[in-house]
Amino acid sequence: MSRVLAVSRMQLINKWTFLGVPAVILGGSLLLSLVIFAIIPVEDKRTGGAAFAPLWYFFVLGIQSLTLTFPFSLGMSVSRKSYFLGTHLAFGGVALGLAVVFWAGSQLERLTGGWWLNGYFFRIPYVIDGPWWHSMVIPFVAAMFFFSVGFWAATVYRRWGVTGTLIGVISLAVLVVAAVVLVTVSGSWPAVGGFFVQAQAIGVAGIVALLAAALGTGSFITLRRTAV
Amino acid sequence: MIDDSGPIFLQIAALIENDIVSGALPEEGQVPSTNEFAQFYRINPATAAKGVNTLVDEGILYKRRGIGMFVAAGARDRLLGRRRDDFRAQFVQPLCMEADKLGISRGELLAMLTAALDGAGPEDALNTDVVSTRGRQHHE
Amino acid sequence: MSEDVVRVTDLTRRYKDVTALDTISLTFRKDRIYGLLGRNGAGKTTLMSVLTAQGFPSDGTVEVFGEDPYENEAVLRRLCFIRESQKYPDNFTPAQAFRAASLFFEGWDQEFALRLAEDFQLPQKRQIKKLSRGQLSAVGIIIGLASRAELTFFDEPYLGLDAVARHLFYDHLVRDYAEHPRTVVLSSHLIDEVANLLEHVVVIDRGRIIMNDDAEAVRGSAVTVSGPAGVVASFVSGREVLFEERLMNTASVSVRAQLSVAERREAAELGLTLGQVSLQQLVVHASLAHSGGGMAASQAAMSAFEAEFTEVSR
Repeated sequence: MSRVLAVSRMQLINKWTFLGVPAVILGGSLLLSLVIFAIIPVEDKRTGGAAFAPLWYFFVLGIQSLTLTFPFSLGMSVSRKSYFLGTHLAFGGVALGLAVVFWAGSQLERLTGGWWLNGYFFRIPYVIDGPWWHSMVIPFVAAMFFFSVGFWAATVYRRWGVTGTLIGVISLAVLVVAAVVLVTVSGSWPAVGGFFVQAQAIGVAGIVALLAAALGTGSFITLRRTAV
Repeated sequence: MIDDSGPIFLQIAALIENDIVSGALPEEGQVPSTNEFAQFYRINPATAAKGVNTLVDEGILYKRRGIGMFVAAGARDRLLGRRRDDFRAQFVQPLCMEADKLGISRGELLAMLTAALDGAGPEDALNTDVVSTRGRQHHE
Repeated sequence: MSEDVVRVTDLTRRYKDVTALDTISLTFRKDRIYGLLGRNGAGKTTLMSVLTAQGFPSDGTVEVFGEDPYENEAVLRRLCFIRESQKYPDNFTPAQAFRAASLFFEGWDQEFALRLAEDFQLPQKRQIKKLSRGQLSAVGIIIGLASRAELTFFDEPYLGLDAVARHLFYDHLVRDYAEHPRTVVLSSHLIDEVANLLEHVVVIDRGRIIMNDDAEAVRGSAVTVSGPAGVVASFVSGREVLFEERLMNTASVSVRAQLSVAERREAAELGLTLGQVSLQQLVVHASLAHSGGGMAASQAAMSAFEAEFTEVSR
């Protein structure tokens, strides 16, 4: 366990990567949104969605965590298991931080009536407008998912190279396209829409969490057989 | 210093012997530790220890538990005796053979030796140098 | 038996079209300095990779501290292997790499690491990706030394370092090893420079072990006889000739032999000069013989090999 924690601490040695950049992206997009809300005053309630900007960085962070620190960690005599757990623990911490910011932000927006501008940065219709704990779980799951996708892609690349990654990505794309075609051909788009409406964001988050867990498991199994 | 001329532990032993013969290491005087030898000559400590232990086995050095290694009483005389035997084999005999090869007569050789002992001329010194240098070049 | 830190039995590592290690068996004993020697691409790094579970065996068994090192934290935490091409997080500075190392190596000596960084004149606040090859090597050397791991591997640790820095490394290694004995495996193709530091020599060539001996035994195992060609030839007849050189009527022949006192005297009486063969020459010869270079290597082939074994920077 101590070595898992040591890996987490190692990931945070350079504060900028895990903490600084996401904070700047989030803070920057919040500021920008507020400026826009202020410049263009409208009576209607406005929402941005820019709050999810850091997610793209988390995808990159997933890739970087593997490419930059996996070979280094093995050089530090860390087992692949400790590396995987420690890195995900560190990222889990960051995702939790994001969740807290979303919760606090959305509460603040409610109290101030959208920053006194009727503008909403954190509260996004459908995605984040449920009970208070939804505004924590959903960003957390989203962050973990993006991180897992990046981490998984980098693992596949590390293990099987360019060809493997291409095959992996293309297979995924084929699956998605096949699903779309299937839904279209069977004319079940209304049913799909209905499902999302009924499941609500929190239900979808549950599915995404399962996907993230599957990707994580895949990454772990692959990593265990990856040589440096 | 340490070179390629054979096992290092023998060279270490020879270096210590030299210091005992020259008096740099007096009898009952303390010998540097194995680690000091290793660091100074940049060699493996185990090898240095092997060199020191060779001399312990021969009774030239002895160990004082917890303190270190010392030169045994009578070590210098014993080494001198051994070196004198070596001197004949290593220097005197080759000297005579070389003189024979060059057609230097017994009388001439003795005269050269006497002159060298009285203060060698630069010419003689130069000649011996040439011989030894050529000998080394062969195997390098 | 408990003295064995590493025990490898019939280890084979195959890649798609190459056999990097071919049924290798060896043991490393506690608190010794081993030289893992061989040409570039001989299999040195692959062997160390498998020993530290950074790579995998295709066949055979590997035991480190009596256990399989794969995903074995109890074993891994006692060893340190910084590879020659070690990757560091791009945005890390040497100081941050040392901080990371302090998290993982229980014997880590931060003060020692800082002293070494100063000796090597390593800019500690510069990003690692901006360091020169030599400075990068210094980072690896510092982590290897300051980790004080019971089993430490140095993989061609001197690439890009100048002579001064290389000797600084050798000095620190000997001194720190004397104070904190541990098992050190020094992989190198620069044999002459490290020869005196080694207690035991393992030579790999094309995935096979071709020499595995006490360094001093190797050093004393051959002799060079020089003198008039005819006299040399009769003196060395019947012995294994390692290499020979000839200039007009003078020959210099290296043979595998440990001469007795009587034989040495005989040589002296015949007017022959005796010299020793360096560890590097012996290793070069062993590699050449293994590569099918024949019994007595030609001088040209020797020089080419020597050049490869002495080349410092790439």
